[in-house]
Amino acid sequence: MTDAKGDVVLEVRELQTHFFLRRGVVKAVDGVSFTLRRGEVLGLVGESGCGKSLTALSIMRLLPKGGARTIHGQVLLNGDDILTRTPGEMREIRGRKISMILQDPQTSLNPVFTIGDQLREAIFRRSGARNRDVVREAIDALRRVDISAPEQRIGQFPHQMSGGMKQRVVGAISISGHPEVLIADEPTTALDVTIQLQYLKLLQRLQQETGMAILFITHDFGVVARMCDRVAVMYAGRIVECGPVAEVFANPSHPYTQALIASVPKMTGNTRRLYTIEGQPPSLMDLPAGCRFAPRCPHVEERCESAYPPSFTVGREHTADCWRMTAR
Amino acid sequence: MSASGRRGGPLLQVEQLRKYYPFTKGVLFAKTLGQVKAVDDVSFGIEAGETLGLVGESGCGKTTTSKLILNLEEPSGGQVLLHGKPIHGLAGDALREYRARVQAVFQDPWSSLNPRMTIGRTIAESLIVTGWGNRADIADRVGELLDQVGLRRDQAVQYPHEFSGGQRQRIALASALASQPQLIVLDEPVSALDVSIRAQMMNLLKDVQAQSNVAYLLVAHDLATVRHMADYTAVMYLGKIVEYGPTQALFDNVTHPYTKALFSAVLLPRPGKHEEEIVLAGEVPSPLNPPSGCRFHTRCPFAMAQCSREEPPLREIAPGHLAACHLHPPQ
Repeated sequence: MTDAKGDVVLEVRELQTHFFLRRGVVKAVDGVSFTLRRGEVLGLVGESGCGKSLTALSIMRLLPKGGARTIHGQVLLNGDDILTRTPGEMREIRGRKISMILQDPQTSLNPVFTIGDQLREAIFRRSGARNRDVVREAIDALRRVDISAPEQRIGQFPHQMSGGMKQRVVGAISISGHPEVLIADEPTTALDVTIQLQYLKLLQRLQQETGMAILFITHDFGVVARMCDRVAVMYAGRIVECGPVAEVFANPSHPYTQALIASVPKMTGNTRRLYTIEGQPPSLMDLPAGCRFAPRCPHVEERCESAYPPSFTVGREHTADCWRMTAR
Repeated sequence: MSASGRRGGPLLQVEQLRKYYPFTKGVLFAKTLGQVKAVDDVSFGIEAGETLGLVGESGCGKTTTSKLILNLEEPSGGQVLLHGKPIHGLAGDALREYRARVQAVFQDPWSSLNPRMTIGRTIAESLIVTGWGNRADIADRVGELLDQVGLRRDQAVQYPHEFSGGQRQRIALASALASQPQLIVLDEPVSALDVSIRAQMMNLLKDVQAQSNVAYLLVAHDLATVRHMADYTAVMYLGKIVEYGPTQALFDNVTHPYTKALFSAVLLPRPGKHEEEIVLAGEVPSPLNPPSGCRFHTRCPFAMAQCSREEPPLREIAPGHLAACHLHPPQ
């Protein structure tokens, strides 16, 4: 891993994205901060509704229509706040500087165009090169993601390909602009396990070749252990723990992280009973005043219910938002 | 030799089950071009109160197998026996009786409940169909079922949209349990749920089994889930069982190369080295035109000349543990 200072490619500061609905305000992302360094894979883990995907969409400035607004914070790409850019400037940034892979390859490709058309569109938008060069580049891009016989594949439609292959095409499109940051939002969730491993290995190889930074969004700690250098755990709109992967697995400090790791069935050891977290995540419309995990936390104290804890440093580059860490 | 050969399988017995779907061209004078062999010669048994895990990737036939067992599809060959009686061809009261005894919980809790019915009504539905009793009896039973799955009795009047995914899956389980079934087919029951909710659901399924001695056929792709839940495990590839055995024995001594690849694709929530990873080349071949001989030979890292010619039978390699691989002759 690279040095901590000076090499940061993406920095998110105090990001707040809320949905303004008639019924109230849904605080889906509520004060998220993290940094992403060149050549690093940062995992963003959490359960559905914790705000991890919306964090990614806020960074991309592709918020869903219907009341979602980023009301506070900065997204610094090479020190430059992209939240203040115009929509036109953002179009230039997307694809070239920062790119995204979505969960479902079925819906990220247009069914009525060949994959060649879709790749060429991305390449042409970026480079404006002549048609022949664009086709050659598209074939190269497919070859880079291990698609066999790319010359033939380029004329095929998405329905002629398997899920794993489509997701590789999506990957090829995403990295065709040589982005510095790739956001991968659960890219393997829709794939079978053996295909998932293929895909993760491919992403790792591409990352080593290009040196891009990856923000890897997932709910699977197995994927985090396999892919990421650092991991940030999100709960109810905030990052509750962040640190190097080995550190966080060896010494999970936030009770939520501890519970998440403990509740996953293991491949070794006894199978009698799984650890469970009681209750449900809080409603994002009506968040607890203090720590958001307090209502489900086995170690809850009085101060947890009155004030949100600050980020305490619990190890090298390892922080946790939990009052119990005060003593350390 | 079949996977059921080891045990009597007094509750449910699946014998040489086949399901072929014709692949046609044209509409009016359709011509059959071939057959998709979704399930091809599958045999196993399930005893009361135990869980069989059926593992494999998409397209391996595990869902078709469960549909055949639920009597939602007619087999092209072979049979399914409940207490020794064939289940296909049942009609009228006998079929209704079968439906009461064999129930299902599906993967997606968002689409498996009727949004226009209160959950109490959804759960009561199968009680009404099977003639449980009068209104009061049914209301009592619904309350009992809600208690059993960890919901409150007063929630019976609420609609599905008022519940989270985990709660909906509990409701689906409650309505499956209503008719006191002997077997529940669980088709990926936890894969749509969040990690913390998954553990709750798996514990609940185990508790319910301990209380009511119901058997489960657990269709899943996640090996850790199967290991946690199942007494026996069957691994399917392209419509066939390639390995079968008591879960502990199978997990301790993974034998078939495909099972090995599946195991090595499991990403452990533990950072560290990734040695001995078997990454399979390519994708699952089409079941329309499955490879000759052993169906796995096209992707198998240990394939020999014999593998493309002869199909390996499923045979015992250790007591109760069967595998279909030429590398592993019977002991």
